Amino acid sequence: MLTEIQEGKAFDSVVRHITQDKIKLYAEASGDFNPIHIDESFAAKTPLGGTIAHGMLNLAYVSEMMTSAFGRSWLSGGKLRAKFKEPARPGDTLTINGKIDCVEQKDDVSYANCSFECRNQKGEMIVTGETIVKFSSDKK
Amino acid sequence: MAGKTVSYEELISGYEFPPVNYELSASFVSKYLKAVDSGGDGFVPPLAITACAIAAMTGSFSMPSGTIAIHASQELEFFKLVPIGVTIECHTRVAQKIARGKMSMLILEQEIFDKDKEKVQSARATIALPT
Repeated sequence: MLTEIQEGKAFDSVVRHITQDKIKLYAEASGDFNPIHIDESFAAKTPLGGTIAHGMLNLAYVSEMMTSAFGRSWLSGGKLRAKFKEPARPGDTLTINGKIDCVEQKDDVSYANCSFECRNQKGEMIVTGETIVKFSSDKK
Repeated sequence: MAGKTVSYEELISGYEFPPVNYELSASFVSKYLKAVDSGGDGFVPPLAITACAIAAMTGSFSMPSGTIAIHASQELEFFKLVPIGVTIECHTRVAQKIARGKMSMLILEQEIFDKDKEKVQSARATIALPT
């Protein structure tokens, strides 16, 4: 976890390799069997040209980064807004980076306003977004 | 899991799906953590709860054959820690249904409660459906 919550502080990156097996595991765990994720012959005939990872799998990695940084403050008081820019595909290696953009205090509560991005091995933006974490002021 | 399913054509702004209950069992959480390559910390990962809510929603309506649904954006807010073993109740409504040329957009709002009817999470998902 972060020892200091201050503007500009970067989080530890999360790096994950996407495989069709991982996508299948996620489909089984989540119950989301949309064929664009798991049916390779169906997906090949679509404009996407092949299977793609679930957007929520990509966001799970973002949440992992936020949990590592903020622990229970994220789990019980986090907010996230994400835009899926490009699909993540089997074979991609995703790197998730994020940082604290600013810290605000309202009444007796502090809020860390953060930004994050998830890029593939080609540097293409897969997901981008913002998070807000509410935390007690004694951590600042 | 979801019972009755409705067709995509039947979905209109304001439509509310029947609530769906999920038990966030230890085996479910373990399977989820394995799928996302994560270690876990004794609580249900909030994105695992979202995954259940999305599965409940997607299982509740049928799309025209051959249509693909693409997740375009997602908003989430977490309100409390959720211990493993809790049963949650997912409420989903259609906030907006938009048709623009060859693209349809479905904006869904979800609220998830625990057994004490306390809100644990809210979510808003935008799903794009190229036709």
